[in-house]
Amino acid sequence: MAMDKETRRALMVKGLERYRKERDFFKFLSDTLALMPDEEMQLSKEVTDITVDRYDTIIRCAEEDKPFVAGYFNAAPEVYTAMDLPWYLIMQTPFLAASAPYLMEDVDAAEAMGLGTDWCTACRLSLYYIEAGLSPPPTCMIGLLHPCDAATMLHQAVVRNEKWRGIPMFCTDPPYFEDQRGIDYFANELKKMVAFIEENTGRKLDLDRLREVVKESNKQYELWAEYAQLRRAVPCPQGWGMGGPQCFAVSQIFQVGQPRGTDWFRRLVSITEKKVKEGRGVIPKEKIRYFWFDLLPFGWCFELMPWLEQEWGAVMVMEMFGFTPYTPVDTRNEDTIFKGLAKRNLYESPMVRQARGIADYFASDIARVVKDYKVDCVIWPGHMGHKDGSASTGIMREICNELKVPYLHIGLDLFDRRYTTPEECKDKLSKFFGAMGLG
Amino acid sequence: MAIYDAYLTKIAAYVADLRRKGRPIREMDCPPGVDRLLDGLPVRVGPGANPGIILRGDTFAEMGNPDAGSCAFLFWTDNPALVREGRITLIGPDIPESPGASLPFGQVLIMAGPQLTEKDHQTLEHTQFVADRIEGYMIRSTSQLIWSRVSRDVAQRGFGFETLGRALMAVFKQEVPKVEAMEILFVTSSREDLGPLDDIGAQVRKIYKSLLAADWKARGFDAYVCSYGGDCRTCPDEPVCDEIKEVIKIRKQKDVAPEASAG
Repeated sequence: MAMDKETRRALMVKGLERYRKERDFFKFLSDTLALMPDEEMQLSKEVTDITVDRYDTIIRCAEEDKPFVAGYFNAAPEVYTAMDLPWYLIMQTPFLAASAPYLMEDVDAAEAMGLGTDWCTACRLSLYYIEAGLSPPPTCMIGLLHPCDAATMLHQAVVRNEKWRGIPMFCTDPPYFEDQRGIDYFANELKKMVAFIEENTGRKLDLDRLREVVKESNKQYELWAEYAQLRRAVPCPQGWGMGGPQCFAVSQIFQVGQPRGTDWFRRLVSITEKKVKEGRGVIPKEKIRYFWFDLLPFGWCFELMPWLEQEWGAVMVMEMFGFTPYTPVDTRNEDTIFKGLAKRNLYESPMVRQARGIADYFASDIARVVKDYKVDCVIWPGHMGHKDGSASTGIMREICNELKVPYLHIGLDLFDRRYTTPEECKDKLSKFFGAMGLG
Repeated sequence: MAIYDAYLTKIAAYVADLRRKGRPIREMDCPPGVDRLLDGLPVRVGPGANPGIILRGDTFAEMGNPDAGSCAFLFWTDNPALVREGRITLIGPDIPESPGASLPFGQVLIMAGPQLTEKDHQTLEHTQFVADRIEGYMIRSTSQLIWSRVSRDVAQRGFGFETLGRALMAVFKQEVPKVEAMEILFVTSSREDLGPLDDIGAQVRKIYKSLLAADWKARGFDAYVCSYGGDCRTCPDEPVCDEIKEVIKIRKQKDVAPEASAG
């Protein structure tokens, strides 16, 4: 049954209250970054400005009763851009650390609500925000049935939520194996998704416009790949503070197939090329080049990542979201566009690529990154929600043994610093670096 | 007969077909040993030979950009007599003839050695991504594709496909000593010419994936599917999972207890 107007209005008022606070948090970050003249800081500022703009757009749509979608980066977001349809990522708040000022309170409130603590904190928080009415209810929702059990559970819960069950939801069905049959199947799923969005928002997808957007997004991915090569330089021109997370946010969430995003990538490549030519690293003396094979610990990264650089001279040369296995989408016709998008979203999107499977991606990605980026050690943080990856830790260790590169599995919560505290992580990392003769 | 031997015939038929169509084909024969392969090369080969990265502005030619077309695969045989040791076949323009070009790129590496087995295939796959081992040559770090750059500097010194082929042969023979003979096919003629090669590559890759799954399984890992069909009752690790659940339960009780007593 569709959501009645009164319920929607009441939910929107409450949902926007928190949403505006998140917007203000990013505005504060932007204003702070504006005071820093460094060109990399200005690049970061552009990302936070883009983020603020997106928040404003969603707020405006909600206030003016215009359609907007809640969805995912790995469900062909080029489609949303082509349909001129604003959208937000359901897991946006934990992913962007947008709840930073009250993250711990939110985690505790989610637990008090009865959401299991063995459940991925990002998924748990996302459900909490919906259950507690802290997310603006979208016109319709694109759900996610992969890569992990927690994502599926989140959507099972949302679709049964007393208030949100009135919001139409569509989930693309992801095949497991990587082959042409899988690509064909998922391309068809994406077409069904388009039909669903058209039906529920009143917007129509124009193929020429989609082609234009995909061409622009191809440019972004090409520039991103160029940037990723620059990080192979010794010393590495940038560390944890700039790179994969921003590239991901721009190309797959906030500026998908849009010229402003492409310009951001151009600036990123130009600034980084300059540093590589000058032989400038992110820190004065790079001692350890590590591959952080997961998301950053968004809930508490400032308590760990700078310490790694300062205490050990350890530079994160690559991480899971920064690796660029993307192939350009062939824009010749509708068929090639949807198959290209299917491939990108099934087999190339970060985390989904490795976690849904096949498990060999964990091994093959490590093998490429270790060789290409001259990596001294691989760190699998072992986020408590990434059980899929932790089930493959044996494979990762095995491949690292073959490559003769030290491997560390920490076991932490990327969002809740209390699970394994930053001090415990530092202790573990120090013992690891020491025992392996690194640094 | 090794698992990939049939593909030697398919590759030969592919080359013969392009020859019939009038494509320019060059064949070069290189000496067998690593030292002789490297002797006289205009570039250094080995770990650290290409210490930096090749920037866009320093690029003489690019090969395998997905827009231009890219197809790369490798296979092996345990019968060296089936491989023309040291043969490099080039179909299409060579690097020195292509300044500023973005060439379509096909690369087929065929290795032979009586000691080679299925277990070596993964190592061979990893070896083809040469990282910093060939001066002036950089394969971009992206999965599956060979998308590479040749620097202006080494192009001026005469870096061509013979250089690349000899360097690759040396790298493989150094890193996988079981490789006794090697033959290479490069295709740069057109994107269309890569189509039939890609069909052969798809079959080879499918076999490789099955070998890989079997290899992981032999090492005790289910890389592709749960052997127990998702039925935990038949999984030998079930007691471990049960114990973890018990620990969580105890931990939760501990967390609740102080509140209960305080109340």
